[in-house]
Amino acid sequence: MTNKYYEFFCPVKVIAGKAALEHIPYELTGLAAKRPMIVTDKGVRAAGLLDPVIAACEESGLEIVAIYDDVPPDSSTTVVRDIAKVYRKEKCDSIIAVGGGSAIDTGKAVNILVSEGGDDIAKYSGAGILKHPLKPFFVVPTTAGTGSEVTSVAIISDEKKGVKLPFSSSFLLPNAAIIDPRMTLTLPPHITAATAMDAMTHATEAFTCMAKNPLSDAYATAAIKKVSHSLLQVMDNPKDEDGRLELAQASTMAGIAFSNSMVGLVHSLGHATGAICHLPHGLCMSLYLPYVLEFNLESIREPLGELLLYLEGPEVYSATPAARRAEASISAIRKLRDALYKRCELPRTLKETGKVLESQLDAIAEMALDDGSIMFNPREVTLEDARTVLRKAWA
Amino acid sequence: MLVKRLQPMISHARRSYVGLMFQVMGRALQAISEVDEKTRNETRALPEGFLFEMQVMPNGPALIVEHTGDGLLYYHGDSAPRPVDLSIQFKHLTHAFLVLSFQEKTSVAFANDRMLVDGDVSLAVRMTRVLNRLESFILPKLVAQRAVKEYPANLHLPEKLMSAARIYLKVATNLVETVRA
Repeated sequence: MTNKYYEFFCPVKVIAGKAALEHIPYELTGLAAKRPMIVTDKGVRAAGLLDPVIAACEESGLEIVAIYDDVPPDSSTTVVRDIAKVYRKEKCDSIIAVGGGSAIDTGKAVNILVSEGGDDIAKYSGAGILKHPLKPFFVVPTTAGTGSEVTSVAIISDEKKGVKLPFSSSFLLPNAAIIDPRMTLTLPPHITAATAMDAMTHATEAFTCMAKNPLSDAYATAAIKKVSHSLLQVMDNPKDEDGRLELAQASTMAGIAFSNSMVGLVHSLGHATGAICHLPHGLCMSLYLPYVLEFNLESIREPLGELLLYLEGPEVYSATPAARRAEASISAIRKLRDALYKRCELPRTLKETGKVLESQLDAIAEMALDDGSIMFNPREVTLEDARTVLRKAWA
Repeated sequence: MLVKRLQPMISHARRSYVGLMFQVMGRALQAISEVDEKTRNETRALPEGFLFEMQVMPNGPALIVEHTGDGLLYYHGDSAPRPVDLSIQFKHLTHAFLVLSFQEKTSVAFANDRMLVDGDVSLAVRMTRVLNRLESFILPKLVAQRAVKEYPANLHLPEKLMSAARIYLKVATNLVETVRA
């Protein structure tokens, strides 16, 4: 018997497809929630994405009691405290986060404060601090990439101390994730591309890193198939509702996969690059993915070869000799990145971003080495290894 | 039937083994920080007075080391003088035994959810690198390959033997001093 062991957990009810938003009132009522608060950002509101959510609730006689629409891109402890104050003042009893990663993380953090009490969110930072279920919490993602709607973590900046506070608990998982194609229909092309590549990276790393398991594998491969099949279709026809839904589902599935099997060096480098050069996360993922797969190649040849089936379809898979499939998978990802560059100039190298200096590569390498996700990378990574990958990704 | 009767003895033996291994590792961590510059480069990043713990949940064997400055570590035994800053906790004695008997690599144990990190994850990654370096030095290559994700390609026999000898000498000296005290 081998030592193989794994854990898999995802209790989030996924409500996906046409008119999914209209299920919110029924689902809230089922949790005895009558006074929901919406947490979102100005961009979401300006794009008119709140309107169908509010209309869906009002048509069922459910009043949205409060709306906080000023969540910044990097949410902070002050913002969380302010939202909790509004929640308490308006006597809300549930939270609906509408937006991308920041709004969702903020919603999770606000839920901690309004459920546990107090004003100091930093007190609850860390793993396993929460011991009780929180208030009813729904998430409506407006990007298709982060997978935050099915992850049990949140990151909030502590402005005063200048640090990022991590929160990790299964109680942070929302009661429901509502995936409605209307919410991603107006995403601009470069964000559509970057967030979809974020989902692609989540799934690819989930399938090739150390904590992979049969259940996360199933979600990861399904997510890769959906992104490969639908991303370019959506780029060519942004109003393609079916394609948008496929990408949104892929993001959720990739989220379920990576939250149960973790990620590796692409994320270590991406987190460091985001912190030092302030590049968007999805862009970093797209940028580093092929270079890291090449670095890991001999440790992940078998699973990476399997991914060719989901990246290129059965014809290409069967026509490719088994010994060449892993390289062919990397080529397929490179081909997809070239197609995205052609359509929206999504950078493929650090130089193409125009926001990274070659002199910053050493700092990125050093920071990446201390990132938690590096533990799950299939190959050990030394400082020189990280520098080598970065030099390849430079130009 | 026999297995059932032997179970308490097996459990006791495992607990003793894990406790002994923690004692050796704790002293060896102190020793490697004194003899290896690369280890000190890693541990210098820890705040002075930083307490690191490895423990078996809930109240099992433990090892505690403190960063006393300039990358040097000091082994405190199994009890900390104050609340620890970073704790890596095995969920069960069996999981600790799997890792410390080199049946499961530390990295695999993390991936298999055998351990929890309580504290700054980036410092836990750093301490894991130190533990890997220690194991690469003090274990025979064949055993070390079962303990670490990748045996360092640039660690050659003369350096390994010299370092291992100095570490073991310091561990033995420390043990004798502890017994005398």
